[in-house]
Amino acid sequence: MKKQNKYYHIMLGIFPVISIGCFIALWYFVAAYTDYRIPNLTQVWERFLVTLEKPIAKKSIFEHAGISLLRVVKALACSIILGIPLGLLMGWNKTFRGIVRPIFEAIRPIPPIAWIPLITMWFGIGELPKIIIIFLGTFVPIVVNSYTGVAMVPRLNTDAGKIFGADGRKLLTDIVLPTAFPSIFAGIRTAIGTGWVVMLAAEMISAKSGLGFLVIRGQDVSDYPLILLAMIFIGVIGAALSFIFNRIERWICPWMEK
Amino acid sequence: MEQMIRESKKREALGRMKKESIRNLCLGIVGIAGLLLLWDMVARFGIIPKNLIVSPWEVVKTLAIKMSDTKPEGSLLLAHITSSLIVALSGYALALLIGIPLGLLMGWYKAIDRLIGPVFEVLRPVPPIAWIPFTIIFLGIGLEAKAVIIFLSAFIPCLINSYSGIKLTNQVYVNVAATCGASRWETFCRVGIPSAMPMVFAGMRISLGNAWSTLVAAEMLAANKGLGYMILMGRTYGRVDLIMSGMVMIGILGIIFNAVFDRVERFVLRWRVTR
Amino acid sequence: MPLDGKIKLKAEHLCKIYFSSKGDMDAVEDISLEVKENEFLVILGPGQCGKSVFLNMLCGLEEPTNGKIYRDGTEIHGTDEKISMVFQRMAIMPWKNSMQNVEMGPKYHGVNKNVRRQSGMRFLEMVGLKGFEGSYPRQLSGGMKQRVGIARAYNADAEILLMDEPFGALDAQTRYQMQDEILRIWEKDRRTILFVTNNIEEAIYLGDRIVLLSKRPAVVKEIYDLSHLPRPRDNVSRSFMEMRKEITDAMDLGLE
Repeated sequence: MKKQNKYYHIMLGIFPVISIGCFIALWYFVAAYTDYRIPNLTQVWERFLVTLEKPIAKKSIFEHAGISLLRVVKALACSIILGIPLGLLMGWNKTFRGIVRPIFEAIRPIPPIAWIPLITMWFGIGELPKIIIIFLGTFVPIVVNSYTGVAMVPRLNTDAGKIFGADGRKLLTDIVLPTAFPSIFAGIRTAIGTGWVVMLAAEMISAKSGLGFLVIRGQDVSDYPLILLAMIFIGVIGAALSFIFNRIERWICPWMEK
Repeated sequence: MEQMIRESKKREALGRMKKESIRNLCLGIVGIAGLLLLWDMVARFGIIPKNLIVSPWEVVKTLAIKMSDTKPEGSLLLAHITSSLIVALSGYALALLIGIPLGLLMGWYKAIDRLIGPVFEVLRPVPPIAWIPFTIIFLGIGLEAKAVIIFLSAFIPCLINSYSGIKLTNQVYVNVAATCGASRWETFCRVGIPSAMPMVFAGMRISLGNAWSTLVAAEMLAANKGLGYMILMGRTYGRVDLIMSGMVMIGILGIIFNAVFDRVERFVLRWRVTR
Repeated sequence: MPLDGKIKLKAEHLCKIYFSSKGDMDAVEDISLEVKENEFLVILGPGQCGKSVFLNMLCGLEEPTNGKIYRDGTEIHGTDEKISMVFQRMAIMPWKNSMQNVEMGPKYHGVNKNVRRQSGMRFLEMVGLKGFEGSYPRQLSGGMKQRVGIARAYNADAEILLMDEPFGALDAQTRYQMQDEILRIWEKDRRTILFVTNNIEEAIYLGDRIVLLSKRPAVVKEIYDLSHLPRPRDNVSRSFMEMRKEITDAMDLGLE
């Protein structure tokens, strides 16, 4: 029994290696099988080295990534600044919630991506429309989570606040808000994910710069390694964003158990 | 307390509750009516130029006209809707069929987790719509291509939620099953899966939203039919009425999806204590 | 009789019914009660009998359907700064450290930071948590958390402390320790305590008087005077056992 257990553990240890190994092998096989219309890792790497010397649409790939990142960050900042207060107000004030919530629920089912044609029609092709579209994607989860965070504060917490003399504003800032913090943070986390996806869609549908644009450019000129390279950038930056956010969260809310 | 006082107190309390709910209803109506009115005003008085916005009534009119007019983009409204629904639902169904069992198995059996998990983690951060160019290369712009993209977007939350749902299975239940002589597989079927169901449903709900919004993106990038295609064509032809009615239609279908999903969830999870 | 002090808190025909169109829930039928100054009064009742609701009415968290509450002879409505509470589920705020939790009362009443730090320190010391001022609740054990809860209630400058099954969430060992602890604190700093419990032994061990409630809807079933039992009480003494038998027989313990 014990011996078997030991083998089992060694097996579990090497499984991830096998897994990633098989994945890469399969990738190379598929690449060869499809006449390199799906490029393999080597080709992507070579394409990356080329981009270092030869910019795409007058910008290096890092500049494109920076542009995409900046768009998301701007939209995210706007939705944090506007969304959290709106959500808190919805959770805290019954009259405001009564009026605003139905409006919100009526607009929410329209996916942010579906706004792209209308927004580009209204605001043209500059930076602003893209940020607005991403904003539509990041705003919703932040509002919803701030709202539910406040509306679902356990009665025990508000009771304790009231007993010790907190009312109105003090109750909101000292009890309700900190209780809702984890939920608000979860909202921002979701918003980062959505914002990143919406950014990609917006750039693929109408843009002259950014990682989404690189994907479409690759498609247009049949530069498949470029598509895959852009995808890898998107994946890596997306993962890095969520990692950084986790760090920030733990730094701001040290009391939260993980 | 005497009966008289009790009854008057009860009337008072129930009256308060009723007043509250009437108030909420009124506020909601005020909100929605205000939104429609504002929209109408903005369109009617040209606060936004007439070629950039249409009033709610014109949206309804356009929807009615599109029932029998294929101009300008070449299909009836119903054809767009059916096309969108078929694509979305086939991709979604595939995601449920593969994502949920895989997530449950990965959460229950460590070996499977270690084998599939790493690949999943590598592929997960890439948003599904980024795959669109490759699906176009191999599958064109038909049903299969879009269904694959929607499958990818719906698959991820399904898998993650099933995985973490079954990981949260209360160890006490597992022990009870083990003491009653259940095998690991039986415990998985009889204890693990049912207790993961609430999380699985939460994942299915996220997936549904993802599927619907990815559908719109997919139809804008690779399609010749569907609601997303319709609004993109509205943009190309400068027909704002087409864009806005398409958006309204997408929103309404989204609401219907959610309502149906609520019903199904409440039926399947009726054992759950509701608070 | 030591129980002839002035009446600190008085409930008059308190009643709470939750009305609903689907059927009413009678939680408290009719409770009238007088609590003497600096007395340790235990309210004993079976689980779910409405004792918490009664306590919540006293401290103003629930509005009584009928009846009146007097403190020091004047009628009060809503929360009262002279009445504070120790909660069964602790209600210690996870984002505040021990000191910040303890100083909630003075903070909300606008007391200067240095002053409230000092008094907070004094009460943390009194409950035996010196050196844990900066600890967050997740770093404290259940018993320590409830000590913070007690210090917080004392620090709110309240004259009446309501305790809603404060040791209900603790394990048996800690529970015994905390019973001795609360008595020690109370001897040191006398205040009026209303202590709710469903545990007969705990009631006899702690109370000057025990108010026995019926099952829901709650009414006062019996009031026991325990002043003949000397403190510290011995929970295996003959008189203790007799009391225990008497109350057990009187309590509604039958299953619903």
